[in-house]
Amino acid sequence: MGYTGKILRINLSKGLAQSEPLNEEWAKAYIGGKGLSIKYLYEELEPGVDPLSEDNKLILMTGPLTGTIVPNSGKLAIAAKSPATGTILDCSIGGAFAPEIKYAGYDAIIIEGKATIPVYIYIEDDRVELRSAKGLWGKGAHEAEYALQEELDDARILAIGQAGENLVQMSCINSELYRQAGRGGIGAVMGSKNVKAIAIKGTKGISTKEIRKFMVWMNKLKREDTMSEDNMWAYTDGTPMIVELGQTTGTLPTYNFQQGTFDGWQSIDTEAVKKVRVAKKGCFACALACGNYSEMGKTQVEGPEYETLAMGGSNCGISDLEAVIEFNRLCDDYGLDTISAGNVIAFAMELTEKGIHDFGMTFGDIEKYLEATGLIAKREGIGAELAQGVKYLAGKYGGKDFAMEVKNLEFPGYEPRGSWSMGLAYATADRGACHMRAWPIALEAFGDLDPYTIEGKAQLVKDLQDHNSAKFSAVLCDCWGLSEELQAEILSRVLEREFTVEELLTAGERTYSLARLFNEREGFDRKDDYLPERTLTEKLPSGPSEGRVLPREEFEKMLAEYYALRGWDEQGRVTEETKQKLDL
Amino acid sequence: MKALAFNPEKCIGCKLCHLACSGQNEDQFNPRLARLNVVYAYAPGELKIEGHTCNLDMACIKACPTGAIQEKNGRLRFDENLCTDCSLCVTACPNRVIVKKERGVGVCVQCFTCANWCPTGALTFEEVTN
Repeated sequence: MGYTGKILRINLSKGLAQSEPLNEEWAKAYIGGKGLSIKYLYEELEPGVDPLSEDNKLILMTGPLTGTIVPNSGKLAIAAKSPATGTILDCSIGGAFAPEIKYAGYDAIIIEGKATIPVYIYIEDDRVELRSAKGLWGKGAHEAEYALQEELDDARILAIGQAGENLVQMSCINSELYRQAGRGGIGAVMGSKNVKAIAIKGTKGISTKEIRKFMVWMNKLKREDTMSEDNMWAYTDGTPMIVELGQTTGTLPTYNFQQGTFDGWQSIDTEAVKKVRVAKKGCFACALACGNYSEMGKTQVEGPEYETLAMGGSNCGISDLEAVIEFNRLCDDYGLDTISAGNVIAFAMELTEKGIHDFGMTFGDIEKYLEATGLIAKREGIGAELAQGVKYLAGKYGGKDFAMEVKNLEFPGYEPRGSWSMGLAYATADRGACHMRAWPIALEAFGDLDPYTIEGKAQLVKDLQDHNSAKFSAVLCDCWGLSEELQAEILSRVLEREFTVEELLTAGERTYSLARLFNEREGFDRKDDYLPERTLTEKLPSGPSEGRVLPREEFEKMLAEYYALRGWDEQGRVTEETKQKLDL
Repeated sequence: MKALAFNPEKCIGCKLCHLACSGQNEDQFNPRLARLNVVYAYAPGELKIEGHTCNLDMACIKACPTGAIQEKNGRLRFDENLCTDCSLCVTACPNRVIVKKERGVGVCVQCFTCANWCPTGALTFEEVTN
């Protein structure tokens, strides 16, 4: 139990769809979701493949908990080699697509090759069809999804917007309009395969041993653990509550990370979002419903999430919530990652203000900022260059010291000078600057740990990365802060075998080192685990973290300690001993 | 008699009710097997939230030509042996919550497992008179 034991492999170049057995040995070692998708990519991709060529593969991977009544188990891992970074890339998307894969009879869908014309893939149990996307290509992700919903009735849909079609490196994949596999250009991988959308219906049921007993146990757990006070912030507020935490700790990115506090923060904080909230929205099987469906002026959006409020709000100098909501809606419809889009727009604003290059927009310019989303998605006007990210812009025009990225993935919404552990988390995240691999700021700047010391931080970041890797392999949503013991117990019941905490954490650690091996094979090592000069040498000018940097020598010490804990050598390469230990 | 009631203002669209119903009554999880239908979907410019549940209005009992569906102590009962697969109950149900199966149908049996699973209290069971 836990797996259907089948994988659907679709080769677009050949027009072939075949079901094959799941590799059980790999499933045992990597659980599912993040871990198992990385394993498949590691084994199946030749080193050096062009991420936007037909040689790249797009993997939709569920986990053993997917489709069951386990709360918060509805998310899907989508993985490929990243066109933004050239690293491994696994994303996580909410909605209800993942369980439908299980109900259609599969654990995963692997999409290979490239269709000769724009298509959408239609899957209904054993039936797989490539259908013309002629009427959909060129349309926004929202319009495409509405059209397919109308045509197909009750199907679950993944779709890309114009950004994905135009192979923009910050394009995402959408589901239910406002849920995204957001980062690293995963939408461009789908676009490069000429796939506008994937629609799926599954009619099969999945079961667990002694299902009614399991349900009684699970319902108690849902009430007492999932919905415990520790997690209910997701329901009462959702991620917008982080704005205040950022502001009061000096970690709220402002004016392209020039500051860690924002004067207009109260216009975009959780109280402001609550005022325009119409409804709460949960993903499939989610008891916490972090989603806020909001309406302001003529615009509706499910959001904005913290990352959008920070990167599209304070970081661009925008304190008008209605503008941020519109930015959010535009990005979702065009199929753009709000994090990288907000970051690159802010960078262009700073280049303009500093007189380095004139992009015609300065901080707080709402009109230009909203206009930029469409330009980026369509690669028109200034968008043609912005679509290539901050690293490209810095290489062409200058401003490298304040191009806030790691491995060509733009920083998300946390200022590392006020939270030193976040600096390490960004530098060592497998897909470039990311807050989802480890989010140590919660325990550090937002918690009890001293944010301005490296002591214990390497261990903290490693532990959280391992924890999340296992959790995103199960697959469970990060909103449910459950213990490793409980997660192992749930897996034991669903898999019908003893699944220990040790096995869970080993799978997490193994996954993290395998991702590193993938990247190593692509030429990545210590030199790529950098942080921008602004983080290391430019003092925060104001706020609770005033005068702080993450000193270079401290960062390097922390990084060296981290490598040692991981069993990687001084260049950040996985040692033979570690490969053996983790069975890699 | 008690029947299900739905409050759209509390619904979060999680479909745990659907999973609870199918798990309890069909020994498997798939929201399509549920004997209720909660819709939580985006439409252009709006959010559609609807809950279709059995309100014990007995239209299925009246429609059934063989007595395969009966009411006993305020609960619906289905007898597969009497069912002729005519589907008259499926079309008669004003709430469209009777599930056609390969053999027979699935009717809400007022077990209220769905309401017990609802995390927000959007689904409750309330007294009805018929």
